Amino acid sequence: MFCKLALRNVRRSFRDYGVYLLTLTFGVCLFYTFSSLDGQGAMIYLTQSQNPMAQVIQSCIDVFSVFVAVVLACLILYADRFLMRRRKRELGTYLLLGLSQGQVSLLLVLETGLIGAASLALGLLLGLAASQGLSALTLSMFSLRMDAFGLALSPRAAGRTVLYFGLIFLLVMGFSGIQISRAKLLDLMQGGRKNEELRPRPLRTSVLQLVLGGVCLAAAYAILLTFGMAFAVVLPFLCIPMLTLGTVGTLLVFRSLSGFVLRLARSYPGFYYRDLHLFTLRQWISRVHSTYLSQTVICILLLLAMGITASSIGLNRTIEAAADGQAPFDITVQNQNADHLGCVDFDALLTAHGMESDALAWRQDTPIYYNNPAVTGIEDASAAIRLSDCNGLLARQGAPAYPGPLPGLLAEGSAPLATGNLGLTCVVIPDEMAEKLSLRRQVWSADYAGDPEETEKQVQAALAEYQETTAYLRVESRLSLYQEIMGNKLLALFLGLYLGLTFLLAAAAVLALQQLSQAADNAARYAVLRRLGAEEGMLSRSAVQQVALAFLLPLALALLHTVVGMKAANDLISTAAKVDTVHSALVTGGVLLAVYGGYFLATALACRRLALEGGGAPGGCG
Amino acid sequence: MAELLCVKDLTKVYGKRGAVTRALDGVDLSLEAGEYVGIMGASGSGKTTLLNCISTIDRPTSGSIQVDGEELTGLRGRALTRFRRERLGFIFQDCNLLDTLTAFENIALSLSILRTPAAQIRDRVEETAELLGIGDCLDKYPYQMSGGQQQRCAAARAIVTRPALVLADEPTGALDSKSSRLLLERLEVLNRERGATILMVTHDAFTASCCRRVVFLRDGKIFAQLERDGGDRRAFFQQIIRVVTQLGGEMEDVL
Repeated sequence: MFCKLALRNVRRSFRDYGVYLLTLTFGVCLFYTFSSLDGQGAMIYLTQSQNPMAQVIQSCIDVFSVFVAVVLACLILYADRFLMRRRKRELGTYLLLGLSQGQVSLLLVLETGLIGAASLALGLLLGLAASQGLSALTLSMFSLRMDAFGLALSPRAAGRTVLYFGLIFLLVMGFSGIQISRAKLLDLMQGGRKNEELRPRPLRTSVLQLVLGGVCLAAAYAILLTFGMAFAVVLPFLCIPMLTLGTVGTLLVFRSLSGFVLRLARSYPGFYYRDLHLFTLRQWISRVHSTYLSQTVICILLLLAMGITASSIGLNRTIEAAADGQAPFDITVQNQNADHLGCVDFDALLTAHGMESDALAWRQDTPIYYNNPAVTGIEDASAAIRLSDCNGLLARQGAPAYPGPLPGLLAEGSAPLATGNLGLTCVVIPDEMAEKLSLRRQVWSADYAGDPEETEKQVQAALAEYQETTAYLRVESRLSLYQEIMGNKLLALFLGLYLGLTFLLAAAAVLALQQLSQAADNAARYAVLRRLGAEEGMLSRSAVQQVALAFLLPLALALLHTVVGMKAANDLISTAAKVDTVHSALVTGGVLLAVYGGYFLATALACRRLALEGGGAPGGCG
Repeated sequence: MAELLCVKDLTKVYGKRGAVTRALDGVDLSLEAGEYVGIMGASGSGKTTLLNCISTIDRPTSGSIQVDGEELTGLRGRALTRFRRERLGFIFQDCNLLDTLTAFENIALSLSILRTPAAQIRDRVEETAELLGIGDCLDKYPYQMSGGQQQRCAAARAIVTRPALVLADEPTGALDSKSSRLLLERLEVLNRERGATILMVTHDAFTASCCRRVVFLRDGKIFAQLERDGGDRRAFFQQIIRVVTQLGGEMEDVL
């Protein structure tokens, strides 16, 4: 009997459950997509090439998954509380009809279970599609081919998703059960009758709050911009006041708005009394009174979402740019023991291992010497390189030759002399001066002629054998560097997208839930307006305007925060390399528009429909 | 005086074949401008259906309704909304004030909907509020006012647009006797001084005795009509009671 009732309830209140279901489904989808990373193209590629970053990415995602699960749990609990509040009367009626509290709890548990199972199935299906999409995206980012890697449901990820969300649903069931068993029948029956207290605030208080809020925000911005992202975030005595000031400032601004906007609007009767502005503003203000707290939370969630997404994309581009600068040649081998073991004849070594001599398009064997100030006359350098070698390396990259003087320090920021890192400050010396210096290191660089992966495999095999028997060789190739950078890129991108999307989803879902439940409460008010002869256009405009106010205000403040935050973040990143701000801003904007805009549109349409339907008879309304 | 409302052979049938309810069964009614008419009847006699049809909220099955010579049954969509907005004023049993708006704003809202220039709004709201005796609580929210004040506020909202016809559905239904009397007295003043035409549905004989004319409905048909003829209200009240008793008596006969 209960199963039937539960099923019917879910089907009947599908509109209420709609956003709940949507949010759950998105949550499951997001969670699954990132849990199943290990089965996705680029990650398989990393694992196959035994890149250590694969492990790092996996464990990072695992750790953050717990965090995301907590956020989603809070979101789902919140959504559940909203639903419960809307159904108070119905639940009260069950109790009044003689069902025991245990039975009503059971009913709720069944309903939650039903919704949970449906959203889990739907979310996993969507997640399967989304992970395919993400896989294709990352593959195309690194220009890898897709067909090499099959894609199927990852049982491990699916298992984790079911486990985490099962726990969350159990939690939700427990909470709603407790709520029912502790609720008083009277409160349940009169749930809808509670009037909102509207205490008009003195204008002076509102202005004071606004000014105070502005000062707090300005102070927080000043801390961030003066000390820079690196210090402001890491040092607790800067970080804590900055975050506190930012939060309090945001809170005060939202709190002051309710008293403020009304006065402002009222002093323009031509605006206030036109159309349904009067009604729209009053509706909004009556909510802002009680929702300034949630507006602040939404604003901060949006800030996190935009900030993280933009930074991760910006960082991503920066790492890529840094990679090209680090790998001028296909391979560089550094013989670190050349000073006491002597040089290695790499050409002979390779030929001995059966490599054709035309496998390499270019090679150069460069000796690096210890810098002796008595000879070179330059104190602050650790090594010396001959002019002809230096110019040979520069010419291969198409960089201008060393301009002089001789001997002289190689300017910082000039083209690199090896793939990977030399780790030395070099003096450029005339070729003949080298005879007076002792050998420090042998650096052998080469470019491949044929297929890079094949050639590299051969070279690595030859070197590995030598390395086992004799000396320590440091081998860095463009391919290995690229893979490492690809790992970093993926880590930044995955974490950024994962967290950013989670926060964005949370903010949008909370707003949508609030707006929808309010719109349903407003049905009676719209019925009155209709009886007074308000046209459909007026009603729908008013409904959409209310949603827009709720969605755009936190967004506006969050955008301001993000711009300041991104400025600081970019300053930090740009100390390492140049940042592509325009690109990251564009991508972030696109993601934001898609998710937040989608929720906004869906909510606005639903609210509009709620305002327009509902027949003629107005319901009770005090 | 000119005829304002003319209802001819109005019929409203609910349900399908087999289980038909005739809520209205050939009702003829005529109101002149400036009249104050009450409609009485037991529950299920069709009085609310009649009011809903006249107020264009419900659509009759057949018959015609004309206001100022304009046929209502043919109106659709925008024209209907416009007619409702410009020609009608409503007072409901539960006053249906918007709880997020002050009394002033509640009254002003119906002017906003009519697209009245903002400059005129303050004067018109205040004037109407004075007339209904709520000039001192315009800045209060509905929950800060008494039930009677709320209902008079709703009445002010209904007449501030100067409608041709004010429709009231059991306006005193949720009020105590003192508040009822105050509201009815104000409605009378409105009718007398502003010349507002009022059509009021009620099942309370006392409330009905304030009207100039009372129409009795039974089983969807007009059963009787009483005119006050400028006479004493108490005498009119006795007359109404007599008809109501007769109505009730016949009901018992039927049973």
